Amino acid sequence: MSNVLGHAWASTRRFRPALALVIALFIVFAATQSTFLGPRNLQNLLTAVAVLWIVSMGMTFVTIVGGIDLSAGATVAFIGIFIGKMVNYTPIPSWVVIILAILIGIAVGCFINGALIGKLGMSFFVVTLATMTALTGTVNLWSNNTTEVITDRAISWIGVERVFGMPTPIWIMIVIFLLALFVQNRTYFGRDLYAVGGSIAAAKLSGIRVERTVMAAYAIVGGCAGLASVIAVGRIGAASPQVEVDLPLQAAAAVLLGGTALAGGSGGVGGTAVGVLFIGLLQNGLSISGVQSYWQQVVTGVILVAAVLGERVTGGRVRKGRLFGELAKQRKAGL
Amino acid sequence: MPFTRHGPDWWNPVTQMPPAPPLLELTGIAKRYGGVRALKRGTLVISAPGVVHGLIGENGSGKSTILGIMSGQVRPDEGSIRLNGEAMQFVKPLDAIGHGIAMVSQETALAPDLSVAENILLGHRAERGPGGIDWPATRRKAAEVLARLDLDIDPEQLAGTLSPDRQQMIEIARAISMDARILILDEPTSSLTDDQVRVLFKTIAVLKAQGVSVVFVSHRLAEMFEIVDELTVLRDGETAASGPMSEFDVQRIVDEMVGRAGAWEEVGVPERRARVSHNAAPVLEVSELNVEGIVRDASLTVAPGEIVGVAGLVGSGRRELLEALFGARSVSSGELALQGKPYTPSNPRSAIARGMGYLPPDRKLRGLVLGRSIRDNLTMSVTAFLPRLRSHSRAQTEDVVQRVMSGMRVRAESPEVAVGTLSGGNQQKVALGKWLAAGSTVLLLDEPTRGVDVAAKAEIHSLLREAAESNAALLVSSSENEELIALCDRILVMFRGAIIASVPSADASEALLSRYTGGHLSE
Repeated sequence: MSNVLGHAWASTRRFRPALALVIALFIVFAATQSTFLGPRNLQNLLTAVAVLWIVSMGMTFVTIVGGIDLSAGATVAFIGIFIGKMVNYTPIPSWVVIILAILIGIAVGCFINGALIGKLGMSFFVVTLATMTALTGTVNLWSNNTTEVITDRAISWIGVERVFGMPTPIWIMIVIFLLALFVQNRTYFGRDLYAVGGSIAAAKLSGIRVERTVMAAYAIVGGCAGLASVIAVGRIGAASPQVEVDLPLQAAAAVLLGGTALAGGSGGVGGTAVGVLFIGLLQNGLSISGVQSYWQQVVTGVILVAAVLGERVTGGRVRKGRLFGELAKQRKAGL
Repeated sequence: MPFTRHGPDWWNPVTQMPPAPPLLELTGIAKRYGGVRALKRGTLVISAPGVVHGLIGENGSGKSTILGIMSGQVRPDEGSIRLNGEAMQFVKPLDAIGHGIAMVSQETALAPDLSVAENILLGHRAERGPGGIDWPATRRKAAEVLARLDLDIDPEQLAGTLSPDRQQMIEIARAISMDARILILDEPTSSLTDDQVRVLFKTIAVLKAQGVSVVFVSHRLAEMFEIVDELTVLRDGETAASGPMSEFDVQRIVDEMVGRAGAWEEVGVPERRARVSHNAAPVLEVSELNVEGIVRDASLTVAPGEIVGVAGLVGSGRRELLEALFGARSVSSGELALQGKPYTPSNPRSAIARGMGYLPPDRKLRGLVLGRSIRDNLTMSVTAFLPRLRSHSRAQTEDVVQRVMSGMRVRAESPEVAVGTLSGGNQQKVALGKWLAAGSTVLLLDEPTRGVDVAAKAEIHSLLREAAESNAALLVSSSENEELIALCDRILVMFRGAIIASVPSADASEALLSRYTGGHLSE
């Protein structure tokens, strides 16, 4: 047992600075704001980042294979409109709509982003930027730029109801996190992600199905976007045609803050959870302190750079060597 | 007692003249990275201008660190650097370059879409007016440097279109254009063919005649004896031996590198393989294999227990032949059979499923995932065939990991450490061990000992022989003919994509193979 704990502690190495920050923030807000520690506020804190949390979990997988899905925000909005249209204008039962929403997310991730990136080897930036642009247009066309009010019971149950005294989104967050942790650490698919992110060529020459692995990673972030969309619609009680362009970038910030390297091959969802909590804590703590919530973005930006830099400086010898190597090359090229 | 320092006849006008200080003197250099002491007491003395100073040592002996310190890329923790007797402190590479010390590293760092002339003058461009580039002056200066090095390269050509050896020459030219007096060449020959090595040595001779000193790093002892004037041997971060090359022979160098007398007998002399007769039916049969534009009508067979070598210059199609057999490169035509059954190489995965294993020549890029553990790397091609969503545990792979790690004598703290932290030789053993773990019956090995030290090389050779004795079929491609003669039963010679000869290694000699690989079959 102590071995397991030791291993768990060792695996936090990459996001210990972020973890320390989260604990420090928690203590500061708890000490200065009397309302902060109330169960109601803590639940608000978590439900406010539910959408970000779920998208970030999927984003972690994509980042480990060496990419980022810029289209996640547009996918969330697109599926939101889909839910609105289906629930309001068709007799399809809402639980079927919820399942379809997740499946559409998976399909967008797998057969558009995943296929173009994994099978055809296109750049993730180009592909997901294109998907984002096209989906944003589709959202505006399909919704006619009007918000669709949704009063469906199943969907509001997912967004705002409580189960055993805790909001449903928080339960979903916990389940998705544990599931992601299991897939990442305990399945061979999880290990494939790291191998492919570390070296596509080495993975391929070892017999790993690289194309499938990449497609699956994008399918997962797509599915997460579908689920996040159900929660978002349920929480607001409406499907908004407004695309949150910010969402995938915030998710990427949380992933990087949590110690997953942009280059791929390292990190994990544990760190991402800490990254999202950091953003959530700042948002919540600052707003109950009466500080403009835009400060959260300023602070997140600064901390992101500081955390990644700090990780490099304190990091192991291998990565230090790499930093040095890159610098040396740059210096050499520019002499 | 200040007087005693000068000795009894300090007043004598003849002896009072101090001997000229050495050109460059690094003494007592120490450097640690975190908990690792890369250098403890490194000393390196280049005696005079116009000498070739060899630096040799096993992987991890501190070569790269001392080169980094010499060229201002690494700051030493302790020790002194003296240039012509004057104490120096290099904080950044530009400081070293300013004092005429320039380094050409293993990887070429050229801007491929700029012309040769621009690459040579990168960083100290000829300018005209504010911010404008003086093109005629750039071309003229570049042409001057190329002429000085006796190189026939068009300064207008794009650097990316040159072959790797010529790109290296451009880097040397760049260093020379900055008036380098000491030129550091870090394993310049590791990716060159014999002919290209000749050109490089000619250039070094030209530089030497012009009074430029060269620090030459190589794993190949024969090259050391050919061009080096004085030698420094590093072992475990300390200078084990140094002096004029005339004081060294092969035995002494190997003994100093390994750190015990008699080491040469163990690792230096590769025992010739006992001749085995291979009456068994071949495992791998290839007939008339073609790879678009590269490999032409290659036919070969490999029997179980047999080690077949493939010799040839870089670009002769050796590499592509192996890749094609493994399904990593598409085949345009040809008939293949594995274990008597037809085989179509379509992708690496299906090749592995049929019992093939492939060791790529570039282990850091394609052979290993450096950031992952030894365990993950060793078991990758086994677990690749298990259901993806099946949960895994260490216990499942423990047996095979332990067997391969002890069988391959991989030196590491535990199977959990990242492969990137191991020495080159141990990394190569892991890359090879992957196929032992997978139980491959046909091993395709491209440059199995590239960039590993003498001791690790001998170990890898004996591991390959063990694999052959347990009935695996090995196809080994190498640019070192000496290695092929020692290791293989039979050597195929490739020239411009075709297999032009098959020589039993008992009849092969380096002279014969270098003639054959050049395409000259008759005397």
